Amino acid sequence: MTLDFTTLIPYLHMFWAGMTITVKASVAAVLIGTALGVLIGAMRVLPVRPLRTISGAYVYVIRGTPLLIQLFLIYFGLPSLGLNLPAFSAGVIGLAINSSGYVGEIVRGGIEAVPKGQWEASQVLGLSYLKTMRHIILPQAIRNMLPAFGNEFITLIKESSLLSTLAITELTMVGQQVRSVTYASFETFILVGLIYLCLTSFIGLMLGIVEKKWQVN
Amino acid sequence: MNEAIKIANLHKNFDDLTVLKGVNLSVKEGEVVSVIGPSGSGKSTLARCICKLEEIDEGEIFLYGEKINDGRHSNKELSSMVGMIFQQFNLFPHLTVLENVTLTPMKVKGLSRGQAGELGIKLLQRVGLSDKMDVRPGQLSGGQMQRVAIARALAMEPRIMLFDEPTSALDPELVGEVLEVIADLAQTGMTMMIITHEMLFAKEVSDKVVFMDEGNIIEEGPPDNVLTNPSHERTRTFLRRMLAHFGSQLTEKPSGGNLL
Repeated sequence: MTLDFTTLIPYLHMFWAGMTITVKASVAAVLIGTALGVLIGAMRVLPVRPLRTISGAYVYVIRGTPLLIQLFLIYFGLPSLGLNLPAFSAGVIGLAINSSGYVGEIVRGGIEAVPKGQWEASQVLGLSYLKTMRHIILPQAIRNMLPAFGNEFITLIKESSLLSTLAITELTMVGQQVRSVTYASFETFILVGLIYLCLTSFIGLMLGIVEKKWQVN
Repeated sequence: MNEAIKIANLHKNFDDLTVLKGVNLSVKEGEVVSVIGPSGSGKSTLARCICKLEEIDEGEIFLYGEKINDGRHSNKELSSMVGMIFQQFNLFPHLTVLENVTLTPMKVKGLSRGQAGELGIKLLQRVGLSDKMDVRPGQLSGGQMQRVAIARALAMEPRIMLFDEPTSALDPELVGEVLEVIADLAQTGMTMMIITHEMLFAKEVSDKVVFMDEGNIIEEGPPDNVLTNPSHERTRTFLRRMLAHFGSQLTEKPSGGNLL
């Protein structure tokens, strides 16, 4: 067989539009998911038992169930409670909630990886819990977290392909549409795969730069 | 003289393990006390209880007449009473040497950046490290790190300094520079409690030596008594064992004198 990518040329604008939606959904989900995740992670380490229990249960459920099911619950399930969300919003919220579970664990892990001696020295030097967090623990913890954050963002971009199941015309959905008119399945999905690879490579590159900068400091 | 530290009937358990079994100790203001004893004897735990890194199970701890084991004192209040030097230094790796020293005077005592910087430079000069103030702790030797840690603790101007095996994590050739700084500090009249395995050093700088074993203070007194003429068999056994291990090193030190 031969590959003929020229059949895709008339549809390039559709791929572009799909990629734009993938990027928009991913960026929105990363922002919301990270904010939510930091909150969850903070609850996991605060010395307040009820907060630990609640956030622990949240992470347990989010990580223990498929993203696809979470998306279906939000998009198809919530309307039965009278909550109708547009597909794009439902998709972004689903991705963000899912991501927050993982980000929460990254935050917790990053904070707990800071040696106990740092807490002890801070206490004896008179810093309160919050000041210790702010000036001593978090600056070190964020450095521990960066590589894992990179992984999480890359994972999220790839998993955004599941939004196609909510009839959102993101990149994967566009691929399916183009394939169904051109029948050039192989070419179409090679191109879609390459576009995802470009997006994830970009994230990888950016994080590499940030990590280097922080290490020099 | 004022009583700087008073400990009465101090008990401390870790789960099933009883580490301190009713310790009584009094340290006068300006006194330098060395605590010696085998590992696991509770020396470190005693120091950690005094600066409230450990909650105690029974007994009372007073610093300058104030009872500190009732949870009423904030970290800030305690930091003006007692400073602690750790075996593992515990410097803040993300801050420069100077920032390590100036952070808490600014964030806890409210000094301005300028005031704290001045204080920091003065203290780093005192421990002989003012040329290193802009590097990060990771670039320092162990001895230098411990000297920075001492400067950092002094920056809070505590009335009492605790040293928890300050040279135990150091390469042998770096021990001297740290002991020198501690000895200088002892000269200034600061109240100090030093947990150490450096017997000769303890003999030189201490007003009082305390020997602990199995969670109890076995004997205490002037260094000449406890180190050279101990009255308890356990103290003698411990010192003999230390001498067997480190004897050759001890005799090499010119300032030495005789143990036992």
